[in-house]
Parts: sequence; C-alpha cells; structure tokens
Amino acid sequence: MNIFSLDWYLIAIIMFVGFYCMLASRSIVRQLIGLEIISKAAMLTVISAGALSNNLIYAQALLITMIVIEVVVVATGLALLVKNFRLHGSADIWTLSSLKG
Amino acid sequence: MIYHTLLFALAAVFALWAVMARKLLVSAIMLALVSVCVSLIFFDFGAPWAGVFELSVCAGLITVLFVGAVSLIRAEDEKRPENRARFYALPFAAAIFAIAAWFYLPAFVEELAAGAKIGSGGGSIGRALWGMRRPDLLGQVLMLAAGVFVIKSVFPRRTQSK
Repeated sequence: MNIFSLDWYLIAIIMFVGFYCMLASRSIVRQLIGLEIISKAAMLTVISAGALSNNLIYAQALLITMIVIEVVVVATGLALLVKNFRLHGSADIWTLSSLKG
Repeated sequence: MIYHTLLFALAAVFALWAVMARKLLVSAIMLALVSVCVSLIFFDFGAPWAGVFELSVCAGLITVLFVGAVSLIRAEDEKRPENRARFYALPFAAAIFAIAAWFYLPAFVEELAAGAKIGSGGGSIGRALWGMRRPDLLGQVLMLAAGVFVIKSVFPRRTQSK
C-alpha cells in the first residue's frame, strides 16, 4: 500500500466514525460532532488529492471556503440547540420538529 | 512518512475518542485535538494557509462554541444520559470496517489516483483567492451573512405586547 492509499484508508476510517456517531446518537451536540468529524475527513481528502495532483494552491482556496461553511453550519446548529433547549429542556434531535412555525 | 502517517492515525484515534466519550465536554476537547492534528497534516502537506485557518477557526472558534453549548445543557445531559450501548459497539464496527477497507479500498483508491491530471503547481494563494476564485469570496461573505440571519431569526428580540 503506497502513502496515498494509506492516507485515504485512514481518512475512510475517520469518516466511518463520523457517520456512526451521527447514526447512533439522538443528541444534537453529538450529531454536530459527527458532522464535524465527517467534514474533517472531507477536508483531508481535498488536501490529499491536491497534493497528489500538484494543485495545492487550489486545494487550499477550496479548504478555506469549506472552513467558512463549516463554521456557519455549526453556529446555526448550536443556535437551534439552544433554542430547542430553552423551549423543551432537551437536546434530543426529535424534538426539533416542534420548532416549526 | 512516519510523522505524516502518525498524524493521520492520531486524528482517527481522537475522532474515535470524541465519539466514545461519556461527557460532552471531553467530546468537544477531543474534537479540538482532531482539528489540531488536521491542521498539522495541512502544514505537513505544505498548505500553511489552510493550516492556519483550521487551527484558528476550527480548533479555536468552534471549540469555544461547543464548550458554550455543552455548558448550557450539561446538567440536563447528566440527569438523563443517553443509551451508551450503541457507542460501546463502535470499536468493533470500526475494526470490521478497517479490516474490510484494508482489502477492498486500496484498489479503488489506486484507480482514482491513476486518473489524476497533474497540475503545474504554480501560482500563489493570493492569486488563487483574489484573482481566480473571486466569486467564491462573494459566496463566502453571503454564507456568513446567511449564518448571521439564521441566528437573528432563531433568537428574535422580544417585543412586549401592549
């Protein structure tokens, strides 16, 4: 197994852990932690592919965009968590449906 | 090569720890350590700008947001803990996935790598961001504005009814 394959093998394991977290938990915080882990794996994939194809500059520009989107998604998710917690006293993701107008 | 692979392995271990941890605060800290490992990998790849962003924004700002949210719900979470049985199964599931991936993934990845078109590798991050990908910056500003509007609409100002 060459170094590129080994990188992607470990990235696949990180992504599996993130997916498992999102599937197994009903807590909004753990759902967001799982999403973060998947997003880290996606970022590693982009930078590894950029290094492989000698396009690190464009990979970095794409990563900066991904980081901005990640922050907005996490901030929005945590804002929904706080709102849900104030209304229901629970961090259960199934109670989010009661936030609809 | 050993340092490079060690960082990837550490990121995987911290990710596993973040999911397995009983306390949410430990999970948030482990997530920050995953971010630190990822940023060190970026530096190792020769991508310092992405590394700096990852270290300051993901390991810094997002961890602060997580710790703030966790401190709010911690008492409730400890009072009514989640069923941990599914999390205890994670190491076994990850081990099965790792063994299966060891046999099936490399062929697929090597096929992907064979199709890569090698670029020139020239240019600077400034030219890439400000010259060639300027519309992306507009998208990023709009994305941040969308996040601000979501938080504004989730927490509206209370008005007293007359």
